[in-house]
Amino acid sequence: MMRDKRWSRDHIAEITKYALSFAAVMLIGAVLIGIQGENPVTAIAAIFQGSLGSGKAIGNSIRWSIPCVLSGISAAVAFKSGVNNLGIEGQMYCGALCAAMVGYMIHLPAGIHVAVSILAGAVAGLLYALIPALMRMFLKINEMVVTLMMNYIAVLATEYITIRLISLSAVANPLSVETPVIDESAALPVLLAGTKANAGIFIAVLTVVVIAWVYKYTIKGYELKQVGENPHFSKIGGINVKKTFASIFLISGFIGGMCGAVEVTGAYKKFTASFAGTLGWDGIMIARIAKNKPFAVLVVSFLWGILKAGSLQMERVTNINRLTVTLIQAIFVLFITVDYEKVFELFSSRKKKRVAVEGGKAHV
Amino acid sequence: MFKILFGTITFSAMLRMSAPLILSAVGGSFNNRAGTLNIAHEAIMLIGAFFAVYGSYLTSNPWIGLLVAIGVCLIVSVIYGVFVFHIGSNPMVVSIALNTGAGGFTALVLYSLFRIRGSLVDSRIKSFSVIDIPFIKNIPWLGKIVSGQIALVYIAFLFAAIAWIVMYRTTFGLHIRAVGMNPKAAQTAGISILKYKWIANIICGIADGAAGAFLPLCGISMFTEDMSSGRGFLAVAAILIGQGNPIKVMLSCLLFGYAEALTVSLQNINIPSQIVLMLPYVATVFVLLVSGIRNLKTQKDVL
Amino acid sequence: MASETILELKHITKRFGKLVANDDISFKLKRGTVHAIIGENGAGKSTLMNILTDIYKADSGDIYLNGEKVIFKDPMDACKHGIGMVYQEFMLFNSLTVLENIIMGFEKKKRGLIDTRANRKAVEEICNKYGFVLPLDACVKDLPVSLLQQVEIVKILYRGAEILILDEPTSILTPQGIEGLFKAIRFLVQSGKTVIFITHKLKEVLAIADAITVLRNGKLIADIRPEDANEEKLANLMVGRDVLLRVKKEEKKIGNPVLSVKNLSVKDSDGNVRVKDVNFEVRAGEIVGIAGVANSGQKELIESLYGLCIPEKGAEIYLEEKEITHFSCRERRCSGIGYVPQDRLHDGVNSGAELWESAIMGYHIAHGFKNSVMLDYDDINMFSKKIIEEYAVKTPNQHAIVGTLSGGNIQKLIVGREFSQENRLLIIEDPTRGIDIGAIEFIWKKIISLAASGVGILLVSHELNEVMELSDHILVMYNGKLYDGGHSGELTEEKIGYLMMGGAHDA
Repeated sequence: MMRDKRWSRDHIAEITKYALSFAAVMLIGAVLIGIQGENPVTAIAAIFQGSLGSGKAIGNSIRWSIPCVLSGISAAVAFKSGVNNLGIEGQMYCGALCAAMVGYMIHLPAGIHVAVSILAGAVAGLLYALIPALMRMFLKINEMVVTLMMNYIAVLATEYITIRLISLSAVANPLSVETPVIDESAALPVLLAGTKANAGIFIAVLTVVVIAWVYKYTIKGYELKQVGENPHFSKIGGINVKKTFASIFLISGFIGGMCGAVEVTGAYKKFTASFAGTLGWDGIMIARIAKNKPFAVLVVSFLWGILKAGSLQMERVTNINRLTVTLIQAIFVLFITVDYEKVFELFSSRKKKRVAVEGGKAHV
Repeated sequence: MFKILFGTITFSAMLRMSAPLILSAVGGSFNNRAGTLNIAHEAIMLIGAFFAVYGSYLTSNPWIGLLVAIGVCLIVSVIYGVFVFHIGSNPMVVSIALNTGAGGFTALVLYSLFRIRGSLVDSRIKSFSVIDIPFIKNIPWLGKIVSGQIALVYIAFLFAAIAWIVMYRTTFGLHIRAVGMNPKAAQTAGISILKYKWIANIICGIADGAAGAFLPLCGISMFTEDMSSGRGFLAVAAILIGQGNPIKVMLSCLLFGYAEALTVSLQNINIPSQIVLMLPYVATVFVLLVSGIRNLKTQKDVL
Repeated sequence: MASETILELKHITKRFGKLVANDDISFKLKRGTVHAIIGENGAGKSTLMNILTDIYKADSGDIYLNGEKVIFKDPMDACKHGIGMVYQEFMLFNSLTVLENIIMGFEKKKRGLIDTRANRKAVEEICNKYGFVLPLDACVKDLPVSLLQQVEIVKILYRGAEILILDEPTSILTPQGIEGLFKAIRFLVQSGKTVIFITHKLKEVLAIADAITVLRNGKLIADIRPEDANEEKLANLMVGRDVLLRVKKEEKKIGNPVLSVKNLSVKDSDGNVRVKDVNFEVRAGEIVGIAGVANSGQKELIESLYGLCIPEKGAEIYLEEKEITHFSCRERRCSGIGYVPQDRLHDGVNSGAELWESAIMGYHIAHGFKNSVMLDYDDINMFSKKIIEEYAVKTPNQHAIVGTLSGGNIQKLIVGREFSQENRLLIIEDPTRGIDIGAIEFIWKKIISLAASGVGILLVSHELNEVMELSDHILVMYNGKLYDGGHSGELTEEKIGYLMMGGAHDA
């Protein structure tokens, strides 16, 4: 039928958009590698070598996919319901520190200990998200800037607390600020010996599955989706939009905290100040590329993990800086944000556009 | 203690530390007032910092470095403007992509030009030289603070003052504020929204370029990866606290600069630097909180 | 008084798709007069004025200014030719001063800076010349609306307007404010300016206008002088006699009250009282229609009934015996209130999502699933299909994207959703706005049969015809108050129209 055709045409347009963006980015990437005096083919081969070429390589890819999945799904949950949580990084730091503290201060039997650690981290993330959530709920303060600021507060505060914990008066180099190593019982089991691939991947995938399931099969999930897509309609339909916003914030913070906790219990075994780098931002970019769809987040995150693990290898065997990959990722995000209909409009029908602008203005 | 808090060294450092913030934040105020969200100062500054070093390296002249930085940042701003104003990209996502991409970009360019990683030190890179202001330098306390800074420090404060005049005393500033306040009404007054948004964006790019150039060329004469280290976000905070009023924004930046200047000295008396460094961000959240409470009475629930 | 023609419109026609908003309209405007343009909502007044200020381009027809044909390049060009408009929604900058607002875009400069002294002098001259007293340094957001309107008028005078278009200028004013405005208008006209006064309030027209043009359905119906008109005659011309549609109503039983409203007053977000001490009830099986021109307080009334805003203290709203004054939307929905909002795409559906998602909104919590946690897809499909079939929504299936449906089909979907739930009270707002005649008839029939099944219906519509045809009991809203329009058939359309224009206000 007609409408079916239109429906699938939209899908084709969408796929084309991604494919074109990907092709363009690959081209730019090749040029970027080229100007560093390397052969793009060698570089890409190195990436795959380092990410999928051996058991160890796959282990590394998995290790880097884990935080990407968790921070990605944390961002996706928030954005899907219209909450601009840019504070995943901060929530991650809180979660990581809390998990580390539980990991080395309290001694519990194996199994329970790791669960308690991760849960403590997740709750810490949730509580940290509570501040902007309450500000949004009761005072209608835009959460974007608040969470942005709170990232820095979290980074500095966790660093300070760590210093107090290990009773150093002042440390010049933040990289050496770290907690003691967590108990063996609080560590997530390693999957592939010799790598940092750990059971966190199950937690990450499970989280995605649960979130996807909630969206697909529960009434709450239905409400969360509607609130994000049209809050007015949802309000009139009887959904408490304010409360939903707040609870979304908390869920997002919970997952963000969990991400930090899994990093500590799985990969690092201790909390190190400023450990996360750009992970929080990675999550936001992943969610944007995946259009906030849980399983797409999973796919994009694995891609991210592969690129991360691969870029380290690439740096080892070639002379290419691994940040090249970060740059390529960022360019890909830029391409994805473009509204291609507007681009089309811009080039094809200048005159028409002018009238449209005036028409828009007419509703004064 | 008194000497630490009010000593000439601290105040002199405050001026120096706040200057790049002022440049970036005052420039960003124009964007803020024109109603354009931009949280990519961090990225633009970093790129500016690199190209300032590169320009200075090539010519051994910091002023050329400054011009190169401004030129490149202008290009980045134009890219930002095209994405946000013309092809419907979400400004938040574009900012985030730029922020994450800038680190990679500068590292990449650094490597492809110099085959170096981490930081670039070279004797050919020349910083701005300090300027001794006659007469003022002889005033006992003030002289030590105000005199003996690099030109960009004075330019930063001059820029804030000029920006204030432009914003509140010229038609141009009035129109920029109008566009941000009520675009529809501005349009009925014959003001082109796009034109003013673009100009504001360009100003922002130039200012960020200068701010970026300040970082490596204020005396240390080197570029390190991640050199902007959060200053772009501090600028965002300052813009918010000052509500886009250049003078208020400048004062917030001075406060942040003061906090930064104190960190080193305060560590000696056991006040941890982290707490001091946190101040600007806590202050921003606090200011937002207070303004939120104040607005509560006047606003009515929409959702 | 000079009486040469300053402006003439010849054969202006403007179409939006199939809709003819302005159909071959010609009229002359004499210098130094107040020319009123009256008509119902959608009669084409705003379109005509937008053509005059060049916000729209006419499809055909010419504009002659001072006897010369003019073609405006853009809205600013119209402004330079001396045509200025005061919009219903003020075009002001809240945190700027009155002076800054007035000079915006037309500042006088000295050495690159704004020459505040010269600007102030120019504005003060205008104020003095036309008798306005404005606090030039006050911030706009601190001023009352009546002053804001004067700011708008001075603004367009400052821009050099010879012809001032005032779009519904009195809708936001108190009687005293209106008196002040009229004084100002008379003064302007005496000083040689020309005023076009758009309104649908008849009393005002007769009080101020020198000439009256009546529009209806995009056509020019009459050009008359106020001496030859009275309120009944004007109402007659505006509303017209041709009734579009008729539906057959069957005998039915009216039961106990489902909705009782007592002492309801509501303020809008600016703190103005928009609903004033309203009392009424809706009985089971009864259709109560609220007629009235736009912005008479209908929006605030509905919002307070549905829990979207909080009424003033002392108000009581009962659903059957239960007081629901402080219930949330969700609680009201669960208690059995349904709502068909006026703004379909904004409030009625999630246009980017699949049809079923919009179809089950409300149903999912109030009357639907047995399981309160899980989505029951069988139930969803059944309910969506039921709506699609019973309400003849043209769509391939329940997975189509709502935004791809036509307006009429979306409206059928919303109506179907609200009507298919076991509600006891339905609040329906403009259910047939902008949809084709077949869909209108269909929805009307559904409303009537639903009432016959014992549901109480509150119908708020800006189409007088709709209220007249469907309602068992008619209420007329004017300026926040409700007036009794009698039971079905008791009052003629002209009488109701008269009430709508404030005919009973002083009585």
